[in-house]
Amino acid sequence: MKPLLFLILASLLSPGLAFAQIDLAGDWRGVSHEDTFSRGGVVIGEYVGLPLTDGGRLRADSWDPSLLTVPEHQCIPHPVTYAEHSYAMNQMRIWTVIDPETAQVVAIRKRGTWMEPERTIWLDGRRPPPEFAAHTWQGFSTGRWEGNMLTVTTTHIKSGHLQMNGVTTSDDVTMTEHFIRRGNYLTNITILNDPVYLTESFIRSSTWVLDPTLNFVPYPCGPNEVVVEIPRPPGAVPHHLPGTNKLLAEFATIHGLPAEAARGGAETMYPEYMEKMKTMKPATAAATR
Amino acid sequence: MNRTTFVLAATCAIVGAADVAAQRGQRIDPVTTAQAAAPVDLTGSWVSIVTEDWRWRMVTPPKGDYARVPLTPEGRKVADTWDLTRDVAQGNQCRPFGAGNIMRMPGRLQMTWSDPHTLKIEYDAGSQTRLLHFDKSRKPSGERTWQGWSVAEWEFVGGNGRGRGGSARGGSLKVVTTGMRAGYLRKNGVPYSENMVMTEYFDRHTEPNGDDWFTVMTIIDDSRYLTQPFVLTTSFKKEQDNLKWRPTPCEIAPPLK
Repeated sequence: MKPLLFLILASLLSPGLAFAQIDLAGDWRGVSHEDTFSRGGVVIGEYVGLPLTDGGRLRADSWDPSLLTVPEHQCIPHPVTYAEHSYAMNQMRIWTVIDPETAQVVAIRKRGTWMEPERTIWLDGRRPPPEFAAHTWQGFSTGRWEGNMLTVTTTHIKSGHLQMNGVTTSDDVTMTEHFIRRGNYLTNITILNDPVYLTESFIRSSTWVLDPTLNFVPYPCGPNEVVVEIPRPPGAVPHHLPGTNKLLAEFATIHGLPAEAARGGAETMYPEYMEKMKTMKPATAAATR
Repeated sequence: MNRTTFVLAATCAIVGAADVAAQRGQRIDPVTTAQAAAPVDLTGSWVSIVTEDWRWRMVTPPKGDYARVPLTPEGRKVADTWDLTRDVAQGNQCRPFGAGNIMRMPGRLQMTWSDPHTLKIEYDAGSQTRLLHFDKSRKPSGERTWQGWSVAEWEFVGGNGRGRGGSARGGSLKVVTTGMRAGYLRKNGVPYSENMVMTEYFDRHTEPNGDDWFTVMTIIDDSRYLTQPFVLTTSFKKEQDNLKWRPTPCEIAPPLK
């Protein structure tokens, strides 16, 4: 085959490498105009708009924030299911990985600030590892371009935060993301499916703006950084047994919401729930004692 | 160069040129209507899924709760003096249902083609209707309305499907809205002025379980009441029918304490 013909055919038919159309590389700052408190200041017992299973609710009820002070937990980064939605991860660096032989983009890498989580989104068509492969905080991600949208599928994720009040995803969770860049804005849409703790898909989105002036400060966390914050007997794990968490009613009481609404569930995500709430009484401090 | 090589080279050049044109937002074919040119189908019945800003959307937040809205001092002052009773008495009960907030209102919407150049969005919340005009030769009457005047265009993308998992050419809907009456960004009187300019991008996505969604990114520019562009993203899931369509008047519940 003549060289020119070979080059043309290779250009038209090359099957192995995704064709990256939009450059996502750069330093991005989170735009925090929506979902203010779910991204850092969420209240214990606040499950509104979450399609939790009973198991998911029970697990969240049992969570005690003191768990974060246990030495073995101090260096746990935000899992990939939560990272883009946390104020603590308000900065994000994205860069591409180029195959030196083919000059093609084979992966996108992403790095956050708090605990410096780093993940790879493979664009070279590789398959996920087998089901029994180790799960990690960032999981295993593969991406493909759909028009102007980078669609990413992530599996093999460790069980971790969905929001910072004990609401958790299981290690069976799968995550689909869509990254869309428009000029200096980057939109990230995240959809979680978790057969253990969610009854239906859970969607949320975040916006980022390109900011070349960002200053990424190192955030090392390892044996040298871990300290005993609260002395405890060996093996003690802060928790609440079922029915003993006295803080669960606070959210509804503070905001005058019905106690039932605060417990969440898929129906709280739908507009018709506003009508249902009209038949409910707002929680009061006396009623929740 | 033999004949086969020439044909392949010419094909490659044409495909490449079309991609470049598409990526620059140029028209790539001679279709005459926006409906025929649509790179993505947004028509149908959609429901807003409220997983974010729940406490500011599903209930009416207290007066003065404008967390994370980048208000100017004047904007804060207006928000602090909001009075629902006064709005109703003055016939301004549709203020939170204006274009600047209607996509954040929990509810259902139906998108249809009003004519081959105009996409219509009907909302059950507040029984509002928006018309998205692709025909730029049409001009507004000059009278300000709750939903303003929306100019729409398709954004074509040069995805040529090459590579594993690459898809056919797609696109998005871009809408710029002006000419609105002054309204609210939230139910509790957080203001936008009549000079506000709203830019929206609608992207449709289908998930592995078959669910169809669109997510709209909204950028609100209002130098009077906002210190910077106010940026939100809102997601809607497609429904198979419109059985839950319940048009309601412009009415909001009293604010929480």
